[in-house]
Amino acid sequence: MGDEVRAAKPDVAANGHNGVREIEQEFVRDHLLQAYGCFSSGHKFCREVCPVYQVTRNEQHTPTAFHANVVAMEKGAARLEDVAENYSYCTLCGGCELRCPNTLFVGDFYRNRTRTVKLVQDMRAAATKAGLGLWPRWQRWVEATLQGKNEPVLDYENIQPVDPNRVADWAKDLPFSIPQGGENILFVDCEAAYHRTSLPKAVAKILHAAGVPFGLMYEQWCCGGPSLEMGYPDHARYLAEHNVADWKKAGAKRVFVLDPHDYISFVEMYPQFFPPEELPEFVFMIDFVAQLLDEGKIRFVKPIEKTVTYHDPCRMNKRLGKWEAPRKILRAIPGLTFIDVDHVTQWAYCSGAGGGFAVEHPDLAKKIADLRIARAKELNVEALVSACPWSERPLTSSGREQQLEVLDLLELVAEAMGLND
Amino acid sequence: MATLTVPNPVTDQVITALEQAIGKEKVRTDLGARIARTRVPAPFPVHRFAEYMPDVVVLPESAEEVSAVLRIANQFRVPVVPRAGGTGLADGAVPLHKGILLDIKKMNKIIELDLVNRTVTVQPGLNMLKLNEYLAPYGVFYPDDPASYPVSIIGGRIGTSGWSLIGSRYGHTRDLVISLQVVLPTGEIVRLSDGGGAPKVRKASTGYNLKQLFIGTQGTLGVVTEATLELFPKPEAELAAFFGYESFADAYRSTGALSTSGLGTLAAVILFDERKVDYLRRDDEAYIPLPERIKAVVATALYGVEDEVRAAANRLFRLAKETGGEYLGDELSAGDWASRHDRYATPLHGRLPDGTVVPMSWHCEDAAIIYSELPAIKQKWHEITDRYIQKYGIFDNWGMFFYSNNPYKGWGDYLVEIDIGIWEQALNEETWQAWVNLKREITRATLEHQGSISACHGACREGDAEFIPVELGEGGFELMKKIKRLLDPNNILNPSKNYLHLAYVDEEVGA
Repeated sequence: MGDEVRAAKPDVAANGHNGVREIEQEFVRDHLLQAYGCFSSGHKFCREVCPVYQVTRNEQHTPTAFHANVVAMEKGAARLEDVAENYSYCTLCGGCELRCPNTLFVGDFYRNRTRTVKLVQDMRAAATKAGLGLWPRWQRWVEATLQGKNEPVLDYENIQPVDPNRVADWAKDLPFSIPQGGENILFVDCEAAYHRTSLPKAVAKILHAAGVPFGLMYEQWCCGGPSLEMGYPDHARYLAEHNVADWKKAGAKRVFVLDPHDYISFVEMYPQFFPPEELPEFVFMIDFVAQLLDEGKIRFVKPIEKTVTYHDPCRMNKRLGKWEAPRKILRAIPGLTFIDVDHVTQWAYCSGAGGGFAVEHPDLAKKIADLRIARAKELNVEALVSACPWSERPLTSSGREQQLEVLDLLELVAEAMGLND
Repeated sequence: MATLTVPNPVTDQVITALEQAIGKEKVRTDLGARIARTRVPAPFPVHRFAEYMPDVVVLPESAEEVSAVLRIANQFRVPVVPRAGGTGLADGAVPLHKGILLDIKKMNKIIELDLVNRTVTVQPGLNMLKLNEYLAPYGVFYPDDPASYPVSIIGGRIGTSGWSLIGSRYGHTRDLVISLQVVLPTGEIVRLSDGGGAPKVRKASTGYNLKQLFIGTQGTLGVVTEATLELFPKPEAELAAFFGYESFADAYRSTGALSTSGLGTLAAVILFDERKVDYLRRDDEAYIPLPERIKAVVATALYGVEDEVRAAANRLFRLAKETGGEYLGDELSAGDWASRHDRYATPLHGRLPDGTVVPMSWHCEDAAIIYSELPAIKQKWHEITDRYIQKYGIFDNWGMFFYSNNPYKGWGDYLVEIDIGIWEQALNEETWQAWVNLKREITRATLEHQGSISACHGACREGDAEFIPVELGEGGFELMKKIKRLLDPNNILNPSKNYLHLAYVDEEVGA
């Protein structure tokens, strides 16, 4: 393994403020070494892949600015409240971390990869903890999530809580019934459970057709990820603790996850809260479908005569490095013409929906979605296939304006399996 | 006794005037906006961070808005520092007197593609990679290819008179700009072409060649708001070949032979010295091992139509072999060339003298030196750098590159780069002054060997700037000062860069 990287002791000069307060000191302690990795590099290669910068062209909404602020705080040239607001301009897609030369060439060797997603999340949490009151819509969103136990996805405008008793209503008109509990649990994301209900239905049909027994949670709550992303880690933990207890009660060994945002919460955030023996195995549905295909347990019987391209969900492609399975599935669907845009090019693509961005900055989020749809349109395809329900709402809306259909990959799988006939 | 004009501070009145002229949302005074536009990748006195923060940031979207900002700056006599990508390596975009920071990145539209006459007209905030993504379906490309290619932007390339990695085949930024729209310091908007005013004509003798005057000014003479650029056929073939040598002397002779070979498709000849080869041997995930006997490397690249490149490759390999070069293989050649934009300066390769790893920032010296002087410069620069490393312990020697610098032909002079790591985190005023003195010694050596201080980054910084009068000579610098005063009577545009504060010393202004 590589050598440890040494940090210099903070040397605070009088830089406009009198000394550095405990709140900045604490933040600087956690992030300074990484921040210097960026600040002293200055390549800024991250910038043109950043979905937010691409639509704002404002240098203060860039990963390099986020790291420079840490150095400015260390030097007493800025306080938390002077810079915190900028950290809402991020979808937490992780593209910048990949495009960073530190990550590409030396980050693993020196165990010092650039971690901008963590920096942004921590700054949001610090600003919230300090009571700066910068993001009222996030505050309401998280409050409504606690009230409705799920995210308030049915009312973006006024942010009213959903009815937690209706979290499994999507399953009501399926031709088979799904039990509660069991070794295999299907976790249905808030957006899918309340808004894009066609997705969990399709997933249930696929599992049913493949002969995989599965149940639902006794009481499913939000995974907690969005609360963490919006600056409320304690709330995130509260929601997570409920889910883990529910899985325990169900005897769950394996949890099927149909949404990339849930999946990354489970594999990145939950292990910070719980020891490994308390957590079930998390299986991303796209990976599982690819596996079922390999094993011959599902078959595509219905041709889909369409020309499509694929949208890599940021959390899968950029943050977890998962991009092969969806392509394999698309190439296996009969009749489908798949025009691929490689996953590295897609480091610069995003729907704008992630990291709470669409809640706090809906106008900019729309511009990001418009840009993504425009890029798909250039390929002369009939549809853009995504694998993330959060992306599908803004993409569908932009797609409607630009006359491009937006499809969900798992729904497409169910269709090709002939499960909708 | 000469006194210097001290710029006025940015008052609320100035802010109000800016907001009225271009709209409140394009005028930002928050600290986040200002911190983000304080430094560039060049070594930075981080212990004096706040000194370099601008007072206000403006984000114009048109030439008219740029003009309005400059008129206000003249009215109130406050400095304006233009900033493009902020990836420059010589502080062109760093405010020395605070003031208004004019960020052009929002001006990134493609205005016209003219495939018949092979031009593309763009706003200056556009990145070259993005431009080439747009051009790709048409089979043409814009060949300006600096190390910062994936992120730097056209306005900054013009402002610094950038150098391109493949410039020996395609020319550098100044050769690729056909005409410009410039906002003068006093707010007038002018269109300037090569020796005339026709926007798409490459060569004319109608008037003065004013276009070149505005390329490489580091934003001291005007702000470029539109540029018409040259388009080339997208190369059918691109071949990178890296050769290893058992001594620097062999590699140096081979560099001379390759660069004078007359091969028209030869886009670059790059010589790596022993220290650079050592530096690249510091482990990283992309390193492709070289045999120990290899002490120096010459990298070459051929670009063009396939028939030409094939034939040229035969000649190139033969010539390299005859002059002692050993081909280092396809994997290293293709891999290293492909990662050329990212790989050569990595903060985590910083080492203190005892071997401790610390994140270091990067000084990239970029003097232009004639071929005959390269060995002597190499020896002197290493001696200077090593002496400072020994004394201060916060610098690191990352070796040297010598890049062919002559546009369209690889011979003659070289962009000579010594890369020095600086542990910024540990800087204090004493070590910062040591750094500036190191720079000064390097610059003196450049001038002693008939070199130019900067091939492409600009000579804006302490350690460079004070030597501009020496390099230009009395008459030359006098003329520069006259031009600056003529165009920028109130010294509002990037004041004190390039030592041009001397243009406003009272006794010289006369009257």
